[in-house]
Amino acid sequence: MRIALALLFVAFGACTESATTPPDPPPEPVSPTAVFLSPAQHLTRASMALRGVRPSVEDLRAVDADPTVMESIIDRYLASADFGQTIKELHNETLLVRVEQPQMTYPPLGPLATVTAREMNDGLFEEPLELIRDVVMTDQPYTNIVTANYTMANGVTAAVWGLPHTGGMDSWQRATFPDGRPAGGILATSAFHHRWRSTGFNFNRGRANEISRALLCHDFLASDIQIDTSVDLSDPDVVANAVIANKSCAGCHQTLDPLASYLFVYRGALGPVAVDAYPVTYYTPGQVNRWKTANKRPPMFFGEDTGGMGGLGGAIASDPRFAKCTAQRFASYFTEVPQNQLSGAWVARMQKALVDSSWSAKALAKAIVLSDEFRISHDTDAARAESTVGALKARPEQLHRMLRDLTGFNWSTTSALRLRANMPYGTANLLESDFIGFRVLAGGIDSYFVTDPVHTMNATSSLVAKTAAASAADFVVEHDLAAPLADRTLFVEAAVTATDPARIRAQLALLHARIYGELVGPDSPEVDETFALYTEAFTETTNRARAWKLTLVGMLSDFRALFY
Amino acid sequence: MNRRDLLKYAGAAGAVGLLAPKLSAAPAPAQKRRLIMVLAQGGWDTSYALDPKTPGMVDVPAGTITRFGQNLDIFTDASRPNVTSFFTKYYDRAAVVRGISVASVAHQECVKRMATGTRNETNPDMGAIVAHDNGNDLPLPYLILGDTAFAGPYAVSAGRVGATNQIIALLDPAQAYPTNGRLPLATSNAEDAILARYADASANRMRATRGANGYNRKRVDDFVEAIERGKKLEGVRDGFGTRGRTLLLASQVDLALDALSRGISQSIMLNTRLGWDTHDNNTDQAGLHETTFAGLTKLLDGLAARPGLTAGSTMLDDTVVVCFSEFSRTPKLNANLGKDHWPVTSAVVMGAGVKGGRSYGASTAGVEPDTVDFHTGARSGSGRVCMSSHFVAGVLKLCGIDPAGHIGPTEVFDAFVA
Repeated sequence: MRIALALLFVAFGACTESATTPPDPPPEPVSPTAVFLSPAQHLTRASMALRGVRPSVEDLRAVDADPTVMESIIDRYLASADFGQTIKELHNETLLVRVEQPQMTYPPLGPLATVTAREMNDGLFEEPLELIRDVVMTDQPYTNIVTANYTMANGVTAAVWGLPHTGGMDSWQRATFPDGRPAGGILATSAFHHRWRSTGFNFNRGRANEISRALLCHDFLASDIQIDTSVDLSDPDVVANAVIANKSCAGCHQTLDPLASYLFVYRGALGPVAVDAYPVTYYTPGQVNRWKTANKRPPMFFGEDTGGMGGLGGAIASDPRFAKCTAQRFASYFTEVPQNQLSGAWVARMQKALVDSSWSAKALAKAIVLSDEFRISHDTDAARAESTVGALKARPEQLHRMLRDLTGFNWSTTSALRLRANMPYGTANLLESDFIGFRVLAGGIDSYFVTDPVHTMNATSSLVAKTAAASAADFVVEHDLAAPLADRTLFVEAAVTATDPARIRAQLALLHARIYGELVGPDSPEVDETFALYTEAFTETTNRARAWKLTLVGMLSDFRALFY
Repeated sequence: MNRRDLLKYAGAAGAVGLLAPKLSAAPAPAQKRRLIMVLAQGGWDTSYALDPKTPGMVDVPAGTITRFGQNLDIFTDASRPNVTSFFTKYYDRAAVVRGISVASVAHQECVKRMATGTRNETNPDMGAIVAHDNGNDLPLPYLILGDTAFAGPYAVSAGRVGATNQIIALLDPAQAYPTNGRLPLATSNAEDAILARYADASANRMRATRGANGYNRKRVDDFVEAIERGKKLEGVRDGFGTRGRTLLLASQVDLALDALSRGISQSIMLNTRLGWDTHDNNTDQAGLHETTFAGLTKLLDGLAARPGLTAGSTMLDDTVVVCFSEFSRTPKLNANLGKDHWPVTSAVVMGAGVKGGRSYGASTAGVEPDTVDFHTGARSGSGRVCMSSHFVAGVLKLCGIDPAGHIGPTEVFDAFVA
């Protein structure tokens, strides 16, 4: 046996940070030349950031008339199911569990013989995200994401991992592990360990680093390494001793390896080819002392003995870096500002808001979207404007919810393409799929090869936006053309067939409010532009429905719809 | 151990390259070159071909050292005929760079370093830089056919085709996905022009208000530019094939050749999409090398068969091809007869402007990076280790780009630049 060098030699310099974080820098004021969003624009940004949908016209008018109602509206947003989806997406950008890779997709067997690849992967990988959503949406302390004594399962999750479940296959429910594994929130989910599998002689170091990176914002792998060729890599005992005694190895491994030692109670890996029946076993408590012969370091959390895996989550939650990292991740996600470019003072305030609220993630999200830092529109100083993110691009998942909310359209399709042998892909929304859909082409992540979102437009994201808008416009115009007034989705100020310019302008003003968050009059310059679009479209097509479809294509793929 | 020792050990160093007919000398290439990158993602074992080693300090497969051209020593074996045939045919257009240090052993971290020459994933990779500087007027300057790429600030110039070539569903109405039995609303050119005018007016309104300068202005400009690029792409949709095709390396090569020859793209990222990460059964590396070098032969055959940018030239005369892996594998086998990650690797640089038939840079017998002269590629006690940043800077220079403008001040490993 020879230990893999894969994670043996991680930079010495990266590992000297202790659990005590350095003092935050003094408060930094928001730029004196910053210009802030209007209340209606601010509400629009908050609504898109928190829910991925545009605010209702009623909410826009309310906040325009009285900005103090903003806070109560935000509270309502935070209680919505759409915020739960946002929480999942936010955490997936860190945990990177939403993968559609054949080498990680389990086979259709036994009770799951007829499931599609999409259903299988949803069941496999949504588990930790559903757990975090449940913790946040039921107002539990956010620390429970690493200490909860239950998990979440749908029918597929339950069948794969052997969890209790009742009701429909797609119903997510709380479930407790029947195998006696200690509580650990997402750290106890088999899905986390399946995604971050440990191969060969890696001895869980990759997993340990993901825990450190995702929850503490401490990435061991970001640093340079030194090769010490005096270490005979052919001799496992020499290597095992080197990571303890050799300075160039021990610098990082003295903290990384003990963290990894907790994780021997989970299988290193279980690929699809090794699965021949369900449920499969991932929790292997008999391996708890495997560290003694593997990396030879007892389980420790940055020097702290936590009393085994059951204490790991609590130790993470108690580490000051956890609160700071949480504040950083939330603030970065909601503002599209890279974590390392966030104001340290602002992060410190948000960290305090989180801790002072008894670890309410909703309170943290609320504090962020009500901050001055969040509601900056632009900066009149050219130099500061370079780093002022005042136009936030809707992520693909947000675009999906926005279009669905505005038009009732769900851009889904069913594909028989095989993600792996004997397993058709199945049905998915095209803005939330990588294998057949456009999530990556629209600037999103696939959680495996593409791990950073793109916050600007390119040729493919423009084509996705236009095609999605065209499909949604076609859908809603056809729907509203046939529906009675009370059942219409968008056309409530004028029918699709209306010819009176005044009614058409009133309808356009409503669309400006609904799609752009703009409260403008029927005779405003903004509506003039859109009325010109409608008129040109009608002149070209001589068909009212077609003209409205084109108008909506233009509006739904406009900068004001795709950015907020 | 020096190169002579290696040859002595191998005993039967061939001279295939010296005997093989050389391709005709290329005409002077244009300075601003195109770039194709082939990423062997997962970590190749350089002892299988590119950096021959002796048994002892390194566990090596069966084979012998074959010399091609001036000093291009490749480890070959009858069981790996595609490797041999590639270098037999293209040795004079190919250079091997050895001993590149990536200073990490994490997959994504090292891919980032080898592709961008930096440690920041928000920086552009070689393809994005070449696309931006040399071909930004093309419909899709940077075409990403593989999985991993870094567009950074040039994201507006980049585009992916998707895991199953689903980009064509956006370009060709006949291949669009139906929803509830309906295809997306198709628009005529006249209707598109109306929509473009509306988008322009909206963008101008933004430029006059919130988007006057800085970050916001870039987003508005990208928005307008992206629409124009999308329209251009629709005009060249025939180059993208059919929806649902799985993009194995051979298929990527076909698409890449089409995209270059039709003037769609300036640079292209391909991915071998092979299981290079051989922690178990390292002998799998033989087959992986075979598939990859068959792909490289197909790629260079295709480039050599298509007309280049100047009269009488071929695309091989104006296109640089670089094949690399994020790291290599440990010198010794582990208990599973696999090899783990090793932070020193090699790369193959081919095509336009390459001083071919030679190897540059060096690693020691134990596969440590050796110090070398960056302008000759020879070992030098007063030289430096070639880091990934130095290598990337050399590729950029080969493509006619000043690397300092993109990856900051760095020494340039340009020994392979003619």
